[in-house]
Amino acid sequence: NFYRTVADAEMALVGCYDGYQRTSSNGNLAFYVTSEVLSDNTYGGTGSTDGRGYQALDRFDPSQSPADNNLFNGTWSDYYAGIFRCNKLLSKLDGVNFESKPEARVRIEGETRFLRALMYFDLVRLFEKVPLLTAPTTDNVPQASPAEIYKQIAEDLKFAAANIPADAYPKANAAQNDGRVTSYAAKALLARVYLFYTGYYGVDDLGVTKAEVLAGLEDVVASNEFGLLTEYKALWPASSYVPAANNTLDRSGYAGEGNKETVFAQKFNNTQDYNGNVDGNRWLVMMGMRNTNWSPYGKGWGACTVEPKLVAAFDSDDKRKSASIIDIAGESITGFDVKGQREYTGYSNKKYTPTALPDGSSNTGGSNDFQISQDQDFVVIRYADVLLMAAEMGSPNAQTYYDAVRTRAGLSSRAVTQANILEERRLEFAFEGLRYWDLLRQGLSTAASTLAETQDVLSAGVADQVVIKEADITKTRGFMQIPTTQITLSNGVLVQNNGWN
Amino acid sequence: QTQLIKGKIAEVTGSPVPGVNIILKGTSVGTTSDANGEFSLQASTSDVLVISFIGYQTQEVEVGTQTQINVVLQEDVSTLTEVVVVGYGEQKKKLVTGANVQVAGETLQKQNQVNPLQALQGQAPGVSIMSTSGQPGADMKVVVRGLGTIGNSGPLYVIDGVPNGDISILNPNDIKSIDVLKDAASAAIYGAQAANGVVLVTTKTGSAGKSQVTFDAYTGLQNVNRKADMLNADQYKTIMNEAALNSGSAPIDFSSMNGLADTKWMDYMFKKNAKTSNYTLGITGGSDKSTYAISLGYLNQEGIVGGKAVSNYERYSFRTNSEHKLYDGILKVGQHLNFNYIKNNGVDVGNQYSNTVRGAFNTSPLSPVYSDNNLYDSPYNDTRNSPWYNGDGNPYGFMMTTVNNRNNAQKMLADVFAELAPIKNLKFKSILSLNYYSTDYRSFKPLYQFSVYSYNSDHTTTSQNTSNGNTITWSNTATYDLDLNDHYFSAMIGMETQRFQGSKLSGSNWNLLSQFNDFSHAYLSNTVGQAHLDSDGNVIETRVVGGGPENLYRRVSYFARLSYNYKEKYLFNGTIRRDGSSRFAQGNRWGVFPSFSAGWVLSNENFAAGLSDWMNFFKLRASWGQVGNQDILDFQYAAPINTSTNVSSTNLAANYTFGNNNVNVPGAYPSRFSNPSLKWETSEQTDIGFDAKTLGNRLDIAFDYYIKTTKDWLVTPPILATAGAAAPVINGGSVKNRGVELGLNWSANVGELKYQLGVNGAYNKNTVGAIPTDDGIIHGLTNMLYDNSEEFYRAQNGYAIGYFWGFKTAGLFQSQDDIVAWKEAGNGVLQNDVRPGDVKYVDTNHDGKIDSNDKTDLGHGMPNVTFGFNIGAQYKGFDLSITAYGAAGNKIVQSYRNHANKYANYTTEILDRWTGEGTSNRIPRVTETNVNWQFSDLYVHNGDYLRISNIALGYDLSRLIKSSYLSKMRVYVQGQNLFTFTKYNGMDPEIGYGTDKWVAGVDLGYYPRPKIVMMGVNFKF
Repeated sequence: NFYRTVADAEMALVGCYDGYQRTSSNGNLAFYVTSEVLSDNTYGGTGSTDGRGYQALDRFDPSQSPADNNLFNGTWSDYYAGIFRCNKLLSKLDGVNFESKPEARVRIEGETRFLRALMYFDLVRLFEKVPLLTAPTTDNVPQASPAEIYKQIAEDLKFAAANIPADAYPKANAAQNDGRVTSYAAKALLARVYLFYTGYYGVDDLGVTKAEVLAGLEDVVASNEFGLLTEYKALWPASSYVPAANNTLDRSGYAGEGNKETVFAQKFNNTQDYNGNVDGNRWLVMMGMRNTNWSPYGKGWGACTVEPKLVAAFDSDDKRKSASIIDIAGESITGFDVKGQREYTGYSNKKYTPTALPDGSSNTGGSNDFQISQDQDFVVIRYADVLLMAAEMGSPNAQTYYDAVRTRAGLSSRAVTQANILEERRLEFAFEGLRYWDLLRQGLSTAASTLAETQDVLSAGVADQVVIKEADITKTRGFMQIPTTQITLSNGVLVQNNGWN
Repeated sequence: QTQLIKGKIAEVTGSPVPGVNIILKGTSVGTTSDANGEFSLQASTSDVLVISFIGYQTQEVEVGTQTQINVVLQEDVSTLTEVVVVGYGEQKKKLVTGANVQVAGETLQKQNQVNPLQALQGQAPGVSIMSTSGQPGADMKVVVRGLGTIGNSGPLYVIDGVPNGDISILNPNDIKSIDVLKDAASAAIYGAQAANGVVLVTTKTGSAGKSQVTFDAYTGLQNVNRKADMLNADQYKTIMNEAALNSGSAPIDFSSMNGLADTKWMDYMFKKNAKTSNYTLGITGGSDKSTYAISLGYLNQEGIVGGKAVSNYERYSFRTNSEHKLYDGILKVGQHLNFNYIKNNGVDVGNQYSNTVRGAFNTSPLSPVYSDNNLYDSPYNDTRNSPWYNGDGNPYGFMMTTVNNRNNAQKMLADVFAELAPIKNLKFKSILSLNYYSTDYRSFKPLYQFSVYSYNSDHTTTSQNTSNGNTITWSNTATYDLDLNDHYFSAMIGMETQRFQGSKLSGSNWNLLSQFNDFSHAYLSNTVGQAHLDSDGNVIETRVVGGGPENLYRRVSYFARLSYNYKEKYLFNGTIRRDGSSRFAQGNRWGVFPSFSAGWVLSNENFAAGLSDWMNFFKLRASWGQVGNQDILDFQYAAPINTSTNVSSTNLAANYTFGNNNVNVPGAYPSRFSNPSLKWETSEQTDIGFDAKTLGNRLDIAFDYYIKTTKDWLVTPPILATAGAAAPVINGGSVKNRGVELGLNWSANVGELKYQLGVNGAYNKNTVGAIPTDDGIIHGLTNMLYDNSEEFYRAQNGYAIGYFWGFKTAGLFQSQDDIVAWKEAGNGVLQNDVRPGDVKYVDTNHDGKIDSNDKTDLGHGMPNVTFGFNIGAQYKGFDLSITAYGAAGNKIVQSYRNHANKYANYTTEILDRWTGEGTSNRIPRVTETNVNWQFSDLYVHNGDYLRISNIALGYDLSRLIKSSYLSKMRVYVQGQNLFTFTKYNGMDPEIGYGTDKWVAGVDLGYYPRPKIVMMGVNFKF
């Protein structure tokens, strides 16, 4: 007797948001973490005695961890569980009585289809050919072609953009509605999908034209709902918190969740526990400095050590450098657990990292367990991205948009070329899960040659080398391993990606 | 003309027998013998004394001119007149046509075990009983005639005619007999609950005659039989250094680390001389109108892991049974009341993440037990700063500090019954029973800091849970016996209804009042944690409360049985039962379960008359039947919508937080698919066997051959992740069990020495049929042997349920040449950078690479063969008994070490590792990775064992101390589990534990069964 009333449908919609949240809060290998490990922002890192799964990803080389053939099983399952909830709700909408609130029908459908599109977009980027289910089924569904999947994603996003009322969730009310899907979020995500699909596959058959996509981005700008913050570091807790008296943190420099630059965020809460509440940002703890609390930075498991070449890529005047990167020696951080750290480079991610109080205890709410109580939101789409995408797609205001981003970083104007925009994106969006996909959409060979490298690092305090080979990347075409458990369960209907068998 | 006749009644051995009935034939006049076996009564010369006593042949003695009549009782070795308990009734043993086995209460009591099922081990062929843990009060894994399902495979327990009782809490001293119904024909009268066999327990009742008081007591000391032999500090350093060098790391400079310990964790984990004791007082008696039995018991068993504070079992048991005849026996009414109060606490005995003992295997000996204060108390003892590895937990400190739990359970099983016999041969019986439980659990999580991974530094947590529920069962039967000369009929029809209801309540809160900050004060009322604001100004609710009903369950059943025999020579039985259960959707609720069985007593045939000297009795029997299994949770046929209420670790909330106020908005989603067509699991079994008595009734033989096919398993198969929700329970999958069972019992006298020998054995072969999933496999769990370990057991067509699935190995690479030759022969290697000393994983499909396609059957954890023997001897007041049981054909997967942690300790087996050509062909070189420890036959050990579970020697002091009150005063010494013969190198080869209920023999650091030395007394007044 569920899915009858508007209240039922709203509740089921929250269930869909929760499904999307679980792709991070279930504690499986997250899309964000994978994106960073694969990129040239970070190495795999983690503890010196941990399994070498992250190394297998970082190097596109399963022989780094031969037994790890299920790295993504949880991730895969989380995404399909989320998609199932969306499909279930969509299939039931016709049976819901919307008489009391007729306008809710398309809004709920729009939000749901956005979430489905977002989850498919993550899946298709990770694994390329995945089963495409648009209705609930227990059937053994074979993998669809990327073209079919991207078409479905574009259709869902177009629906969301066209049908979620522009005033459904105004920014003015962000304190209550941040995290909700808006038509602007749909337009911005559609641009990201468009750029990736046309860039990687070199075809333009998404069922939406470049002009339409750009027009969507211009709508976002014209809405005046969003803007760039004045201070770049105000975007991130660890970049803006300052240790203060009485074992507190001065948080006044942080712009907070749902600030005007957030176009869409995956929300988290500190209520996670081991008794059925799954609301936390479970991957944040992976990014923290290994076993090292240095207020305002909190300890974590030392994944994703920062590549020296990214550090070197920042101009010394660039305000984004110190806002993005923890420089362990440069900030005089002592007591770092070098012995426990794998692939130590001296640098760590500052945007997404746990925070700590001056006395070295973790700064989280909830049950204050640094492993599960982390609740920093993941900003999926930031307004700066809207500006840079619009510039890249040839907006008449391209130079203005580009300069706005550069000026905020404390840099002077530069010609708005494709190459300059992509370089800007690397620095502006470092550790925001975008770099790898930005590389891949420039073509596999560009991506492979950029990612390949040999770098000296320290593992467990002794010399070690990260060797990433171009051939390994080319072999996999940039896609990940489909979990063996799922292939076995499908009795071979699912086919493994090249380079991972 | 009567005169006083005196007499004495004795056994063959000469010892007097009290309580014997002596009646004047044809009258109700009589007496019973006293404690010295003596009696006196008035009788005339023409009277005949009828002397009867249970277990002995009834004798008649003409009085004549005698005034002193001494009688030597002859034991009734021909137990053919014995009755056995069958479903909803009793039957003469000689007329039984099914396969069942009866174990007398005395046999069980002699074992002095806590749990009646432990005492049953090795006594009943075809009934495999394994402990799942050696922790006091732990469950037993009972499998009758092979695993029939991957679902619940335990038998149905029927206590005094009431189904679904909890046998494990009964005091073995209260049990008169246990009957196990093994074949489908015997069990089919219990229909939908009987697919895995039925265990019928009958508790003691009184008998008319002299009242008797018994007092039994024992006390004993328990110790671990064998501790795992772990590396000491020097050995550990050698191995760690070698692993580092073999993995290309720098050598480890231990000399620069100050304060390295040499801790023998195993010695800390096990408590020496843990105590156990038991006291039972029993009173029985009655008149020819009323009989009664009352008992009172107390038992306490400390755990050998950690001792009483962390592992303990205490039981108070009360029982009264009575029976009363009214209206000249036309109406009989009675009652049974069993009440048990159990207090227990325990360490974790589950998988690798909740196994207290396992911690001791994975902590280096270099870490200290104590930091400074030599106490495990609040404030906590911080041992995280080991100079060697700050990830080393402190398994002993962790156990003594964090294992704070107490479970109190009250269980009552009570019934009243009435039996009406309005006319001859017609009987109505009605039993109304109440099975009530109430549990009350609390736990306390204190502050502690044992490693950088193992700590709780923010707040303490106190939890309390209670639950209670009751099952009401009402069963009614009508029996009519018809004796038409040589044709004997007995018909029974009946119905039974059952209803379960219950509720539960739980709560937890942070932080105790500071003056009450310990476990003894850990009650919710003493907590101070209340909603407060955290540093972000968010409201934090620290108190969690929940409560709700248990799922209501109802069942209705109708059943009938017809028995027929012709001159007790040709026997026939047929039963049918129809069950309706609320566990299934409407339309699938009803199931029908038929059975037929027949017997032929050859020894009653004329042609066999000449053989009767040595073949005293021979009966062939055959049976066929169908039984069901409905043992799943309620509402599995429906698709629930999860609405963020009743949140638990298995029922996750669907909340999302919008805005920046950290408020959770509840959502909803369907968490499982529905399967409205769910129906009964069915087991069909054919049994052929014989019962014989030979050599002057001294040798009993029972033999059975059976084929049992269980189909339409109630299983939750793995489902493709694309489905997006949990799989429903479905019907699918089948398994065939085939086997033979043989039981031999010999009893005889040699002069004053009386002795009995019993040997039994059973062989079972288990083969899975088709599994209804796309890949035809039910997969085992992952992450079970060590962190991130792969699946290592599964259920698959053609193999035993839960067979171990992994790589075969072919020794080690001894040299570079060896590696080259191996690869040239077309074999793959798993190691990325293979070196001499690495394991040769066998490329079974010879495709040049090692992957999961090379994994194969490495054996299974359930034994093919189970056996037992027992020896008893009595000589002039001395008695000796020995009981043993064992298993063969079973494998044990031993995974003590978490290979994902390079600092984890090893057992001393690693000292035989490969260190150069020819040094070892089994234990690979040590490295910091686990590439040589992928799941392979290196983990698999032979689990065959023979355990002498009990040796007891006693003497009856009443032979020396003559007292008119005391008829028995036996003192004894007893040893339990003193000897275990096995090649298995773990702590205990009897491992019923599995990471799923359909797998056994998984040793992750098993809580071993203790070795117990005890002494005790049995008084009888």
